[in-house]
Amino acid sequence: MTLAAQILATTIILTTPILLAAIGGLVNRQGGIVNIALEAKMIAGAFIAIVVSSATGSWLLAVFASAALGGAIGYVFSLTITRANANMIIAGLGLNILVAGLLGFLLSRVYGTSGTLRLPDVHLLPKIFPESVSDVPLIGPVLAALDPLTLFAWLAVAALPFLLANTRLGLRLRAAGNAPQVVRSVGLREKSIQDFGTTFAGIFSGLAGAHLSLASIGLFNEGLSAGRGFIALAAFYFARNRPVGTALVCLFFGFLDASQIRLQTAGLPPKLIGTLPYLMVILGLCLAAWNTKRKLQA
Amino acid sequence: MSPEHPRTDRSVSTRIGARDISRNYGLVQANNGVSFNVTPGQIHAVVGENGAGKSTLMRILQGLEKPDSGTVILNDDPVQLRDPQQAIRLGIGMVHQEFMLAPELTLLENLVLGDEPMRTIAGPIAIVDWKKALTEARALEKRAGVAIDWDRPTATAPVHIQQYVEILRLLRRGNDVLILDEPTAVLAPQQVSKLIALLKQLRDQGASIIFISHKLHEVVALADHVTIMRRGKAVASASVDELDIAAMTRHIMGDAPADPSEQARAAVVLPDARRILRVEGLCAVTLDRSQALDNISMDVFQGEIVGIAGVAGNGQEELMECLAGLRPMSSGSISLNGAELAGKENMDFRRAGIGYVSPDRAHEGLARLASIADNVMAGSQHAPAFLKGPFRNLPAVGRAARQRLADLDVRYGALSDPVSSLSGGNQQKLVFARERASKPQVLIVSQPTRGVDLNGIAAIHAILKRHCEGGGCVVLASEELDELIALCDRILVLSEGRMVGAVRNEDATPETIGKLMLASGDGLEIAHV
Repeated sequence: MTLAAQILATTIILTTPILLAAIGGLVNRQGGIVNIALEAKMIAGAFIAIVVSSATGSWLLAVFASAALGGAIGYVFSLTITRANANMIIAGLGLNILVAGLLGFLLSRVYGTSGTLRLPDVHLLPKIFPESVSDVPLIGPVLAALDPLTLFAWLAVAALPFLLANTRLGLRLRAAGNAPQVVRSVGLREKSIQDFGTTFAGIFSGLAGAHLSLASIGLFNEGLSAGRGFIALAAFYFARNRPVGTALVCLFFGFLDASQIRLQTAGLPPKLIGTLPYLMVILGLCLAAWNTKRKLQA
Repeated sequence: MSPEHPRTDRSVSTRIGARDISRNYGLVQANNGVSFNVTPGQIHAVVGENGAGKSTLMRILQGLEKPDSGTVILNDDPVQLRDPQQAIRLGIGMVHQEFMLAPELTLLENLVLGDEPMRTIAGPIAIVDWKKALTEARALEKRAGVAIDWDRPTATAPVHIQQYVEILRLLRRGNDVLILDEPTAVLAPQQVSKLIALLKQLRDQGASIIFISHKLHEVVALADHVTIMRRGKAVASASVDELDIAAMTRHIMGDAPADPSEQARAAVVLPDARRILRVEGLCAVTLDRSQALDNISMDVFQGEIVGIAGVAGNGQEELMECLAGLRPMSSGSISLNGAELAGKENMDFRRAGIGYVSPDRAHEGLARLASIADNVMAGSQHAPAFLKGPFRNLPAVGRAARQRLADLDVRYGALSDPVSSLSGGNQQKLVFARERASKPQVLIVSQPTRGVDLNGIAAIHAILKRHCEGGGCVVLASEELDELIALCDRILVLSEGRMVGAVRNEDATPETIGKLMLASGDGLEIAHV
């Protein structure tokens, strides 16, 4: 296995959670809600995935549980914004802190541990192709690393532009995000449409969490999501809500994540390298702003 | 269009109406025992000053507000409208002043939104049938007699096309009661006559159209019947044949003075007119959805009011923002008494002697929640007269604020009231009071009478004239051609960001200006400057 192919395979796998959360957040934002609580649903999804996988021995049930929990949190979160008129940023911040706190409480009270939860008989996500596929030249290692959630994430990226353009819900969602008063004036309920968007984001963030804990490590840690929900937010902001562009940005972040492991072995301080994706987010946002200014004065 | 909503029933005598409707907001009686009837196949104009109660009545007819007493009548029967959705289902459609179209969606997407034609692809899975949608759109387009590029993003479509799409959307959904709120405010005169033709055609097909307007000649040209509102009451209701414009004006104004636009301004051009403002080759690139400006040159002389006309969205607002130093220009020059201002900021423009009245009073012109005193004193806060050491000298601020407000006859309750408590006209007068405080030589004034009642309009026109007679000059952008014609010495016309013509006061008519407004900027000689 060449080094390049290995980095590529790691990149693909590390991209998946960011990509799933970004898809959710993108749909949510198309509907007019900026969801900064992707992180909360992700970490909750990662936790419940470990618990259900251990209890039932089924990765599939674990994945469904993550989606359900993420969706449920997303729905309640949406109600606080659309019905109780909470500020979406403040409510999102609050949810991130609340979920992290609740999980810490659960870990210590129910499982008697702090920080990390190891449970017996956790079933990880299976690989789609048999081990032997890694002998295929060039893309072999990538194929060998593929798991069902990764495949699902990329299928979703492929389907999303079509769904947004051609389904009733896609059209109404875009309209609700672009001009809620218009949606109301044609007799639709824009709040319900937005609730769908936030629930969708919850489901996808829950799946992202399941991938974090079930793709390879098989345990839960309080710091597992490590800001990936925010990286996902940056991804669809960069790509201006376009699905394919968002996926490419996610891939880039996944690559930074993957090369970080390599750079560590090259002797660079790991903590410093760990800041790279976040540094790129800030740089990228500055570049985007600078570009706008340049056009203005052209 | 939709055969499942055969609503038009000519046998009823009242398709929609009101019986004795009253609605109070606190102590304000917005509607006071209002009754009126619209028959099937009738265009019914509702006219009156701002604040006369027209909007409240329309909100009640749409189910957005409930009357305190009285009922809405639909097909001869009283009906309780619970919410706008119900009104839509009953066939009542509203064409808003701010169009209800999502700007980032295409025109076709906006047309079908909420009632999308679907086709099944597998089992229960259905997607929007865009082909069928387009066929329906083409049929509607033919009925309206316009050509529409349905795949165009709405934000880039001309304003009159957006208006057509909004009307067609209502027709497609079977609405045969159309309420239009000042539909001609955004149109050029030629487009107005097309709209009038379309509305008459719809009327002949049985639609009931309620037309809110304050332009009486349009009411005469379009409506069959007119109801006039003043102070919450329907003071007159008659066939248009029975009321001439003079009679309508009397009903609208009560005992107030006559229409100020009648008092055409005698051209005040000083014999040794001095050039104050010079603009040469001004270009500004486009950002977002604004219109780029292309090579604009103009001079403004002492004592002169220069008008800027154009169909909404052709660069007038952008030009005004450039002249106020609020929008960066990419090339060209703006000079005031020979001093170059290009590349400088709004503060430098203000110091040089340029005042600015924004078209968006609620967001740019005023700090809505701040007090009347703070609003009228904004910009003067650093003047030594209003400071006491590091603190504000509040007694001095209060005295100056009262003086400024009194000078322009702004009616207010207390200086500490939020500025939003003032009526539109008084808010606008306050903006002028603030801008004039720094004694600017040039006033850049955009849409000053938007949302201002007739008495307020007269006061604002007087302020502009006084400013010029005192040796200043004014650049005035307005969507009201009558206003420009009444006030301006010259009217410059913009189309697609270019200057396409200039008309002197003596040659200015709605027709000459309208023709220029519709001209495309390409290869057109400037008429005469």
